[in-house]
Amino acid sequence: MSSRLSLSNVKIKRSGRTILHIDNLQIPPGTFAGIIGTNGAGKTTLLKVCCGLIKPNQGSVEFDDTNLAVLGPWKRANLRKRIGYIPQAAEYNSELPFTLREVVAMGRISVRALLSPLRRQDYEYVDHWIDKLGLTNRRNQTFRSLSGGEQQKVLIARAMVQNPAILMLDEPGSNLDFNWKYQITDIIDDLYQQTNITILMVSHETNLLPRSCGRIVLLHQGKILADGPAEEVFASDALEIAYQCPVETVEVAGRKYTAIKSKV
Amino acid sequence: MDSFFYLVMFAGAVAGASTGLLGVYIVGMRMPFIGTCISHAAMAGIIFASLLGIENPIWGAVAASVITSMSLAAIRPEKSRLDTNVGLAILFSLMLGLTFLGMGLVQDSRSEVLGLLWGSILFVRQRTAVIITVMALTLAAFTIVFNKEMKVLLFSRSIAAATGVHESFVYCLFLALCGLTLSVNLKMIGGLMIFSLITNPAAAAYQICRGHKSVVLTATLLGMLSTVIGFLISFYSKKLPTGACVVIVSSAIFAIAAIYRHIAGKED
Repeated sequence: MSSRLSLSNVKIKRSGRTILHIDNLQIPPGTFAGIIGTNGAGKTTLLKVCCGLIKPNQGSVEFDDTNLAVLGPWKRANLRKRIGYIPQAAEYNSELPFTLREVVAMGRISVRALLSPLRRQDYEYVDHWIDKLGLTNRRNQTFRSLSGGEQQKVLIARAMVQNPAILMLDEPGSNLDFNWKYQITDIIDDLYQQTNITILMVSHETNLLPRSCGRIVLLHQGKILADGPAEEVFASDALEIAYQCPVETVEVAGRKYTAIKSKV
Repeated sequence: MDSFFYLVMFAGAVAGASTGLLGVYIVGMRMPFIGTCISHAAMAGIIFASLLGIENPIWGAVAASVITSMSLAAIRPEKSRLDTNVGLAILFSLMLGLTFLGMGLVQDSRSEVLGLLWGSILFVRQRTAVIITVMALTLAAFTIVFNKEMKVLLFSRSIAAATGVHESFVYCLFLALCGLTLSVNLKMIGGLMIFSLITNPAAAAYQICRGHKSVVLTATLLGMLSTVIGFLISFYSKKLPTGACVVIVSSAIFAIAAIYRHIAGKED
């Protein structure tokens, strides 16, 4: 089942400076929202606030009517079991000799109680997602021996075995070649079409947002500059304000490419 | 062979196994410095407990190492802008300062205090063997009971935290056990030397193993081998410090593992 997310008057302060200020952000169940913006606009911070990794200095973050911001660590952790999170590459240790299957099985950890080991049914589910993402032949290989694109597939499988109500992805295509970028984009697109799960996806490159990403949240200096249907946001002048240069968005084969406007 | 020999070998094997097992997590979390930091805290604890006239100064080591471990657990990189390793370095320098301050204040038995740095099998008593065995069994039980949580903590604390694993709780428990294990093994292995016994067997296992279970078993075994061989050398030489022998053996084991991986071209 998809989940609803609601942020209201959220402020994050660092060294006395407000780095994120979200007046109001409503993500109804089944929404696929892309979060875009310049470097330092607050995209990753917003994602971490949404999954309760960063507690706001002010405001409420409601996850299915429960305010994450006022919960204690134990209850917050229990609620987060329904969040599938795929971080940027720098946030996981890819050098350890975990097998691919071990990494995917990590997704079942929070599903089971603290002292309860994983069961046969958990591993059946793990193998189901390994098969589904085309990794069957590599299940006993180590994670560290896989290519960046394959590692990203494994992390998607790890998030999906959790059976999450909401999926949060932080630039899943970064550091990948363009073939892999589009493969990962297509996998996310398929997942959304098949499950209608709520998805929040941060991306620097607009062309990497899957076709089914119907809503765009544009952040600028820690605030929402534009929020609406993808076509409207890309057609507005908000992108030019955020990137401080003349930009245009062109659509090629269903992908939206945003680039500096040509002078010719 | 007298009973003291067997007692030393047994204690050494258990100490090696438990530090080797600890190393899997400490090396995997990329914070090998924790061994030096906690062992220096334990040394400072023993010295100050002696100065205060506490009957069994090991309690000073236990208290100091657990407090240091908990201070480390309190460092949240995303909030404090302080990397765990930088926090470790700061705590380490403080503990080093306290250790030397205490050593300066000790009037008698300075050689015994210095012995804490290098370790000695002469410190092994039946009671020591019982304590380190109980501690090793507790650590083993922890790694079995919290196996799934520790795996995801090793892989990514961010993922663990974001997806509802009680990572702070498990991490705190682990660090507390870390402090306890290191403090009970301190007199035998030595504060300066215990660092490499944590790092080398685990680093060797990470070189040659595939899969978490295989790393855990191999690091435990290599830790055991390091201490047993190191103790044998120390025992028969009658004058070589235990800690130094153990360190050299564990370094040699790491070198062999690295060379093996290179020569065998071991594929993952």
